[in-house]
Amino acid sequence: MKLSDLKPGTQAVIKKINLSGSLKRRLMDMGVVPNEIIVVEKIAPLGDPIEINIKNYKLSIRKSEAEKIEVEVKS
Amino acid sequence: MKEIKVGVAGNPNSGKSTLINAIAGTHLRVGNWPGVTVEKKTATLEYKGLIINLVDLPGTYSLSPYSLEEKIARDFLIKEKPDIVIDIIDSTNLERNLYLTLQLLELEIPVILVLNMWDEVEKKGYKIHTDLLESILGIKVVPTVATKKKGIDKLLEVIKEYSENLEAWKPKRISYGSEIEEAIYKIIENLKNSSYKSLLKIYPARWLALKLLEKDSLLLEETGLKDYEDPAQEIRKNILKDISEDLESHLADIRYGIAHGITKQVLERPSKAGADLTEKIDKILLNRFFGLIVFVIMMWFVFKITFDFSTPYCDWLDEFFSGPVTQLAIAGLKEINAPQWIISLVTDGIIGGVGAVLTFTPLIAVILFLLTFLEGTGYMARAAFLMDRIMHALGLHGKSFIPLILGFGCNVPCIYATRILENETDRQLTAIIAPLITCGARLPVYVAFIGAFFALHSAVTLLSIYLLSIIMTCILGIILRKTIYKGETPVFIMELPPYRIPTFRDLMIHTWLKLKHFLIKAGTFILAMSVIIWFLLNFPQGSTPENSYMGKISNAISPIFKPLGFGNWESASALITGIIAKELVIDTMAQIYISEAEESEEKIQLAESFKNSLLSLFSAVKDSVVNVITHPEITSVTPEEAEKSIIAGLRKTFNPLTAYAFMVFVLIYFPCIVTGIAMKLEFGSWKPFIIAALSEFTLAWITAFIIYQGGKLLGLGA
Repeated sequence: MKLSDLKPGTQAVIKKINLSGSLKRRLMDMGVVPNEIIVVEKIAPLGDPIEINIKNYKLSIRKSEAEKIEVEVKS
Repeated sequence: MKEIKVGVAGNPNSGKSTLINAIAGTHLRVGNWPGVTVEKKTATLEYKGLIINLVDLPGTYSLSPYSLEEKIARDFLIKEKPDIVIDIIDSTNLERNLYLTLQLLELEIPVILVLNMWDEVEKKGYKIHTDLLESILGIKVVPTVATKKKGIDKLLEVIKEYSENLEAWKPKRISYGSEIEEAIYKIIENLKNSSYKSLLKIYPARWLALKLLEKDSLLLEETGLKDYEDPAQEIRKNILKDISEDLESHLADIRYGIAHGITKQVLERPSKAGADLTEKIDKILLNRFFGLIVFVIMMWFVFKITFDFSTPYCDWLDEFFSGPVTQLAIAGLKEINAPQWIISLVTDGIIGGVGAVLTFTPLIAVILFLLTFLEGTGYMARAAFLMDRIMHALGLHGKSFIPLILGFGCNVPCIYATRILENETDRQLTAIIAPLITCGARLPVYVAFIGAFFALHSAVTLLSIYLLSIIMTCILGIILRKTIYKGETPVFIMELPPYRIPTFRDLMIHTWLKLKHFLIKAGTFILAMSVIIWFLLNFPQGSTPENSYMGKISNAISPIFKPLGFGNWESASALITGIIAKELVIDTMAQIYISEAEESEEKIQLAESFKNSLLSLFSAVKDSVVNVITHPEITSVTPEEAEKSIIAGLRKTFNPLTAYAFMVFVLIYFPCIVTGIAMKLEFGSWKPFIIAALSEFTLAWITAFIIYQGGKLLGLGA
């Protein structure tokens, strides 16, 4: 499923990042790499962006990017 | 004495600047990296007979070629070849910070790893085995608490130790896996025997090979290696066969893998602790309901403190320069029998100009202080998080909201506030549209015109101007994003750092360094402008306003404003002087309309005048505090009663329709000179100011044209 569809509080594992170029590198530099555990913490009051927890810190990205990140809910 | 060059690198929010302040303190100098607005801090200090030249690199998460900050950092590391790199890490977030460390190690420069915020590590109950970390990386590790100046001596000692044998501290090679290592080896060997071998003298071999594998566009361009066929094609294919991504991403993955592995080895974390303070605070500050309310309250406080706290000081400085200082100058000049025009030049041109710069100082100091505070606490990132949805629609970044909201007070601090934006394009774009936000100085103009023509509907009229201001800001933002500042809206990938309390010392150092820059640079420009304007207004000697050079210029350009309904020389010269500062629009009109300007020849003794000035400084100090505490509303931008005499004059020249067109024109037409100079200082070129001036003038003309001509068609303005 897409990261943008993940319910806040649910743990998931990053499967694939369907982006390229600087945007992808930027995300990877920030620790958004495959097989990493990710949690959506909050959604901004106006609906976008979202706050995620990854590698033990908080990162915020827009939904448009979150849509391109494939995740799998951790059972 | 021996001299070494030390670069200081690290992630944003790692406490890097606090550490630099702690090491260098008053030795710090602030400038910009050549050609860009990214701040460059340098310092030279001496430690036990060793001269250390510190250069602070922009805070970055990586050394990829995609952002300006990263390019600056890596260019410095490669081209200027510092002897040592200090890598400052937020120890509470070891893994992500080590990612940059690994990239620094690739450069084969001796690295000192500084584990900053060590107190937080201890408080959280973490344990980091520093000796193990040292032996894994083959470099020295120094724990520090920059805010308490702990560990600084140790760091200086290690720098000294490194400097005695730099060669010995070249970092160990960290293996990126057999396939990658083989590819690196092959490439290096091949380069050695190729026509590109001279490159190995400039670039570290291992790093160069890695960049070739990553197909780093910037480097390929720079070195001419674009057409170079590396000998690792086979290996490359082999690797790519097993993974579903490109090599660049694969290498990022490998580096994170190593960072993860090292962290696992050296860090002991207590089993999941409860929610930390940051999480608790964010529950309120980013709450779906309270988040925006708190944000509005916060912004209101920032606005209030910026303007109400600083206005008494601004007013005092203004009076100090126009009062005692001017009187002293006049007395002195009369003593030496200086001619009248010299007295006028010194008092109106020079003292007026210097005074104008200094009057802005309290305002800029306060805003710089507050912004550094918000940034330092971590709230700035939250503000951007909350506002991004709105700003995104305008093609801007969430952080642009703050500079723009400040514009309602004064446009000058806006320009300084654009520093919070990371991207140069966003920064310029925000600065260019900021002058469309109607500032406090434009209010007297509206008040006078509303008093003369719209007294019955004053609130609605004023509100319409404020709304128009917001609409125009959005329109210009969208237009520029589609034309001159073309490109996708900025990406929003932003860390929300833990809340921290910045030290007062740090805030003061930052504020002072930036303020000094403004005072020196802006002072020179504004002084020159002020003298030029003085000349235009006062020459040929002894002329009336209409016959002065300014009057002649105004007469010549007034036809431009004919289709807008105010094609007279009075309006034109008011608009010209309004370029210096918007409140002068009304001042000029007053001078023109009020024929017998009362020459108030108050004979006050100089000593008396200085004494009064000192007394009023005390009351300014009192007012600044009282303003902020006791009045819930923003007191410094409340309209004052317009003078009756101007109203009569305005009624002679304008009718309601042309008056409204003129108000709208004043709202939009030009960024004032001080704003323009702030732009020049911030961006290192006049280009943003020129773009702002041209686009805003055009926009103003078109809008006023539509209002006037449209109004006429509707039969208004008789």
